[in-house]
Amino acid sequence: MNVLFFGSLLLYFAAAVLQFIGTLFKKDKVAKIAWLIFLAGLAAQTAYLLVRGVTARRLPLSNQFEFATAFAWGIALMLLIVRLRLKADWLSVAVMPMVFLVLSYAALQPREVTELMPALRSAWFGFHIGSAVFSYSAFIIAGCVGLRYLIVSKKGSADELKLHQMDYLSYRMIALGFLLLTVTILSGALWAEQAWSAFWTWDPKEVWALITWIIYAVYLHLRLRGKRKGTVMAWYAMIAVPVVLFTFAGVNTIMPGLHSYG
Amino acid sequence: MKKLWRFLRSMRFGILLLLLIALCSVLGSVIPQGKEIAWYAQTYQQVHGWILLLGLNRVFQSWYFIALLVLLCLNLSLCSLVRIRRVVREGKGEIEQAADWPIQTPLTAEEAERVRTHLRAIRSREENINGVSVWHKNRIGRYGSFITHLSILLVVIFGALALYLPRVTDRSCMPGESLTMEDGTEIYVDAFAIEDESGTLDYNSWIRLTLPDGRESGLKQIKVNYPLSFGNYKIYQQTYGTAGSITVNNLDTGGTDTFSLTDTVFLSADGRDGVWYDALYPGYIESEDGSVTLITSSSGHYTDPVYHITLAAQGEYTPVLAFPGESLTVGNLRYDFNEPVEYPGLRIKYTPGAVNLLLLLSFLLMIAGLYITFFLVPVLVKLDETGCTVGGPKPEGLRMEIELLTRKETDT
Repeated sequence: MNVLFFGSLLLYFAAAVLQFIGTLFKKDKVAKIAWLIFLAGLAAQTAYLLVRGVTARRLPLSNQFEFATAFAWGIALMLLIVRLRLKADWLSVAVMPMVFLVLSYAALQPREVTELMPALRSAWFGFHIGSAVFSYSAFIIAGCVGLRYLIVSKKGSADELKLHQMDYLSYRMIALGFLLLTVTILSGALWAEQAWSAFWTWDPKEVWALITWIIYAVYLHLRLRGKRKGTVMAWYAMIAVPVVLFTFAGVNTIMPGLHSYG
Repeated sequence: MKKLWRFLRSMRFGILLLLLIALCSVLGSVIPQGKEIAWYAQTYQQVHGWILLLGLNRVFQSWYFIALLVLLCLNLSLCSLVRIRRVVREGKGEIEQAADWPIQTPLTAEEAERVRTHLRAIRSREENINGVSVWHKNRIGRYGSFITHLSILLVVIFGALALYLPRVTDRSCMPGESLTMEDGTEIYVDAFAIEDESGTLDYNSWIRLTLPDGRESGLKQIKVNYPLSFGNYKIYQQTYGTAGSITVNNLDTGGTDTFSLTDTVFLSADGRDGVWYDALYPGYIESEDGSVTLITSSSGHYTDPVYHITLAAQGEYTPVLAFPGESLTVGNLRYDFNEPVEYPGLRIKYTPGAVNLLLLLSFLLMIAGLYITFFLVPVLVKLDETGCTVGGPKPEGLRMEIELLTRKETDT
């Protein structure tokens, strides 16, 4: 099982490096190879998650390692979908390193398969954590699009339509992430009522999920009503990413609470 | 006054409130909440005065945080009212009005055909208004933002009610015994187990609830994540404990009584001679010299339980260890030490009215509102052979798609 995990980590690393070289020196062939390596990494990681799920006889989402692994997989899967649907090849150079970094964080966590603790044995388990995985992934993709936007827009010869496409994609990813984060928070509230008797306990994880929700709610208001677009929103999408990462990893590390499941 | 109302319902005010709520939340998560005052004095020696003065030890219960939530509700109410009026007004006859729009994007016949094919592919409906072709789709999308804001308002209101209205009590109950609530509701605990059939750690209680009007829930199994919901009550499997069990036999009368013990208690017939129950320990370690060290903590079963008792006889007190299955006689009483009894700690929650149901409906409305807002984006396009005009509340995406379609034509 470890071969699949570390294999995917290495493949993602190689893909990120080659993609960077391909983009920097405008070598399409190198970028294509990077993409194929990335797909191999995604396949290996998918296999790893499947094997782990079958071994544990549950969804592999129960602790920080499993969540981080699923999170990296979610980002990779979203990159695949976006590339295939929108032919947004330009996105890879920004997203691939993120996949590698998140999976590297996972590699630092304890990896043994443990029995699901009673508090997590619930019908909400997959729904609540699964929606969080894809919500955070969508925000990461949005941040990466923002980064790419800022790099491309610096060039004098930037294609306006392409920039607009990036800006719009970033907004759509945030809209998707926001919907999924709302599902995460609300399903978490329902689960909390079933498990702990209260919908909301101001647990640090809940509070930071709310903070993340507010940050993206403000983004959407500025984008939709305030008609703010382009550079400002690209910066916003990018700066919001550390908040997502803190909600994902930081809270569990430095703020013990009801969501500390190891 | 008009200016104030306009500000109170403005998006700017809404964003300001959200950011202030976020700021309070950050403080509330960084500074541990609800500790003893002495703890803050010790931990934040220099600034603890400020923390207490500003209520940062109880941010989420502070007057200013509640005021922010109230103002947010006001802002949401006002902006929802204004929004629904505008949305309904703009939505009325929008298709007919679209037919009169001037053409904004000139197209060649081939480009127009490409756009038409695209509109068909995304399942837009074509309507002929006085010979002009208007394409539309997802008209409900116009209402998404209103539904979302309304649902957030409802979530805050019902969420606050669901947080503050319920009465919650934590009680322990031995298997075979009952708890009676203030209103006469009776909770009977039939059995408790800390492992399931396969031996996996899983805390299960079998309980029956009888409401004051005589309605019964029947015997139900509860465990973590699966409470019993009956009437306005919800019973949760919260904690568990292990109690000592001592059967006292009166050798003169032949009477017996079994006690489940969690606290120190004196079991005696005359109040002078008898057994002081001190504690039950989950296990012990016996060293080579025969001395015994008691184990004080355990998760799950008590593997080698030991009773720590004190014998009181004729004014003398002697500490003794007793094991399940053993007996001791003091005066005319014989004390049989039984296997310990495991019992559940229950959380009993009473929620008046249909608050939980209303909150659940608000949740569903919120998800629906967001989905409609972001994924049922209205399409409204006037299209003829000379060009097209994209309108409606959120034309950005479709405008871009059409630009991409026509550019493709130019590029090739």
